[in-house]
Amino acid sequence: MAATTQRPVVDLREPASWRKTKNQIMTGLMVLAMLIIIVPLVFVLYTVISKGAGIISGQFLTAAIPPNVLPANLGGMGPAVVGTLEITALASVIAIPLGVLGAIYLNEYGKKNVLARIIGFMADVMTGVPSIVMGLFIFSIFTLHFGFSGLGGALALACLMLPLIIRSSQEMLSLVPDALREGSYALGASRARVTVTVVLPTAIGGIVSGCLLAVARAAGETAPLLFTILTVTSTNTNVFSGANTALPAQIFTNATSPYNGAQARAWGAALTLIVIAFILLVGARIITARFTRVGR
Amino acid sequence: MQRVRIQKTATAGVALAAVAVLAACSSSGSGSGSSSSSPKASSSSSAAAAKLSGTLNASGSTFQTTFQQAAIQAFKAEQPGLTVNYGGGGSGKGRTDLSSGVVNFAGSDSPIPAKEASNFKGKTILYFPVVIGPIALSYNLSGVSNLKLDGPTIAKIFQGEIKTWSDPAIKALNPSAKLPSTAITVARRSDSSGTTQNFSQFLVDAAPGVWKLGTSSTINWPSGTRGGSGNGGVDSIVKSTPGAIGYVDFSDAKASNLSMASVKNQSGAFIAPSASAASAAASQATVKSDLTFSAIWAPGASSYPVTYQSWDLVNAAQSSSTTTANLKGYLGYLLGDGQKLLPELNYAPLPANIDKMAIAQLSKIGSGAAAAPSSASS
Repeated sequence: MAATTQRPVVDLREPASWRKTKNQIMTGLMVLAMLIIIVPLVFVLYTVISKGAGIISGQFLTAAIPPNVLPANLGGMGPAVVGTLEITALASVIAIPLGVLGAIYLNEYGKKNVLARIIGFMADVMTGVPSIVMGLFIFSIFTLHFGFSGLGGALALACLMLPLIIRSSQEMLSLVPDALREGSYALGASRARVTVTVVLPTAIGGIVSGCLLAVARAAGETAPLLFTILTVTSTNTNVFSGANTALPAQIFTNATSPYNGAQARAWGAALTLIVIAFILLVGARIITARFTRVGR
Repeated sequence: MQRVRIQKTATAGVALAAVAVLAACSSSGSGSGSSSSSPKASSSSSAAAAKLSGTLNASGSTFQTTFQQAAIQAFKAEQPGLTVNYGGGGSGKGRTDLSSGVVNFAGSDSPIPAKEASNFKGKTILYFPVVIGPIALSYNLSGVSNLKLDGPTIAKIFQGEIKTWSDPAIKALNPSAKLPSTAITVARRSDSSGTTQNFSQFLVDAAPGVWKLGTSSTINWPSGTRGGSGNGGVDSIVKSTPGAIGYVDFSDAKASNLSMASVKNQSGAFIAPSASAASAAASQATVKSDLTFSAIWAPGASSYPVTYQSWDLVNAAQSSSTTTANLKGYLGYLLGDGQKLLPELNYAPLPANIDKMAIAQLSKIGSGAAAAPSSASS
């Protein structure tokens, strides 16, 4: 007893003051890193809002796209808003069920078998394919045979969304604890029943937010649309046939025009697009929060 | 709604006024223009007499985009049932789209080049010239307002042989100007472009022996030049770089408020780019039977020597009579009342003789089935 107390006390901790300093340095660096990340974001938002907010109005969101030469107070981006909404919606209808079902197969059924590995590998490869190549792919297999249409644009966007949805959904499904699955199996449930009633409800929040992120990404893509929708100036409510238009494509054509009115409309369209993406992202947050609470 | 917008436009801008005038013309059914334009107006109104319906898709030349957009809006008042869509993308894209059959007509600033001819094998393509315009040499040089240049000097500048603005060759042409010793930055197109094609053709014609880079829609520019995408890209380089010079479409340069050089023409006069100087050049051009022509380096004392043009390309063979009627109606409008829109947009209208030939050629649309074999053999 006495021997132990007499052993010299070795303090393995570093001097408190140095630890504190290190903590402060690292915290400072992290704040700096955060600021560096925020700066471009704030600049982009500030520029787009300061240049685009003035033109946004009810008329801007609904009126037809005028010739580029006309001043900014005339016309609007109505056809592009309609086109973006219908093309993105159709792309989501194509890509989300396919992507989520693919993720379920990969995580619940395929596991590590050859087919699942091929699908997983292909999804990773697809993530790396430049979006303009997706556009060319759909141009050559679809547009050349059926002409320009919103459907072609939607197919190209769906190709872009699919790997994102598969990967994010699979990630969410793999986070579901195996104990939950084992518990359901122990009660005699089939694998399909376990998936539908236990795994999916648990992971649904993450899956939904992953899907909405993919939708927001697709809504802002220009390149896949350049070859597939023709980028016209009139409203086309039929997404399945006839040339169409979309906000990102209109930003591209208007911003490269020398006329002030067209450039102002491009800023307005950029702000509209950011707001649409923002609404989707906030929706993703709300849905994630709500479903997660219910699931647990 | 349509009426309200048209009236608003008229109060707001010149271009709108032109649209309103056209709308008024079409509603009264008679041409109100000068005596020379009345036959055009009557021919277009007779083509438009039948109510057209359907959709025409087109893509191609960005040079035409502004004109097409204005014409589409004005034409809508005349034929509300017919939707015309013009997507830009460049002359090359327009020709590719036409050969693969995804558009009904294509805008192109140059005739189909030899290397693309195989895409159109067995088809007869009709050329409809629709618009003429100068290519402006725009520069950014404070204090120098009326720069004068000739072909060989321009060739040397764009080849990187003349490096500063105070070069003796430039001084000799501008004895009274205060030329700074600023280095010259050459701005040129980075994309495949009809503007490049026509500008380099001018250098081939105007600076023989000096210009060594040939003529094509893409040029192997010397290093040190700066490339911009589209006319807008070159515009912004010139605007933001003191000492820069670049070639841009006149209506773009005008809209961007750039200074433009006067260029020496064949008869030795220095001509500033303008719609009327372009018309003067085009009226001197020799028109071939397929309506292709080149107004580059055209003779005539008042001709602007870097004048180019744009065609709408149409397949002579059409599978549907509706499309044939729609094409005749819309192209007839472009060649008729549509021409009156051009001066407001800083383009030049077609000379009367070319316009008349183009209108006469409208009847060939839809008749190409029989003509196709002969073109394949030629």
